[in-house]
Amino acid sequence: MQNVFSEENIKIISQIDNWQKAVEIACQPLLEEKKITQKYVTNIIKSVKKYGPYMVLTDYFALMHAKPGEGVNQLAMSLLVVKEPIDLEGKKVKIFLILACPDSKSHIKTLKEVAGVLMDQCNFELILKGTKSQIIDLFQKKEMDGGKK
Amino acid sequence: MKILAVCGFGVGSSMLLKMTAEKAVKELDINAEVENTDLSTAQATPADLYLTSAELKTELVHSVNAPVYSVKKFMDKEEVKQCLMDFRTKSNQND
Repeated sequence: MQNVFSEENIKIISQIDNWQKAVEIACQPLLEEKKITQKYVTNIIKSVKKYGPYMVLTDYFALMHAKPGEGVNQLAMSLLVVKEPIDLEGKKVKIFLILACPDSKSHIKTLKEVAGVLMDQCNFELILKGTKSQIIDLFQKKEMDGGKK
Repeated sequence: MKILAVCGFGVGSSMLLKMTAEKAVKELDINAEVENTDLSTAQATPADLYLTSAELKTELVHSVNAPVYSVKKFMDKEEVKQCLMDFRTKSNQND
C-alpha cells in the first residue's frame, strides 16, 4: 500500500448532522487534490438512494463509492471518522471510507489491502478510537507486512 | 461451484463481500470459486449461488436461475456462512 492515507485525507470529527454531509466532508480532500470532481460526490449520494444502504458493510463502517470513471480523475481513498454515529438509511455509521476508482480494475490491490486491515477487529477498534497518526501508522504497518507475503 | 458476489457497481462492496465469502468457503471446506460483479452483469452471468443485498436481491431473483441470498453485513463472515450452510443443506435435499 503506497501511503494510501496521510494527514490530508483522514478527518476525525466529533459529530455531524447527516450522512450526506459526512460524505461531502469525507470527499473534500479528494476534491481539493482534484482526484475527483463534484459529480462523484453527487453520484455517491445518489447511489445510496438508488440501491439502498448495503455499503454499510458492518456495524459502523460504510464503503462509499459510485460508478468507476465518472467524476474520477485518479485512484484515491479518503477516510472520515465521526465519533457520534450517524444514521445512514437505518444503519449506524462512524467510519466513512471513500473509494474513487478511475476504472473497474486498478483499485483492486489497494482496496484488498485496506479491507484486510479493516477486517481485523483490533484495527477496526483503533480506527474508531485512535488518533490520525495512529491510523496512518496502522496502514503503513500493513504496507511493510505486505512485503513478507 | 461458482458463487457470485453482487453489488450496484461491482467494484467496492461486492469485492469485500467476495473476500468475506472466500473466508467462509474456506472454513466450511466448500470447493467453490467466488467472483464479484455488478448487478447488470450478474443478471447475465450463470452461477450456482448469488450473494447480494436485500434491495438488489429483489432485482436479481427474477433474472437468474440459481438461489439468491441477501446478506445484511457484507463483512460478517458468520452471516455469509449461514447462507452457505443453508444452501448446502437445500442442495443435499434435492440430490
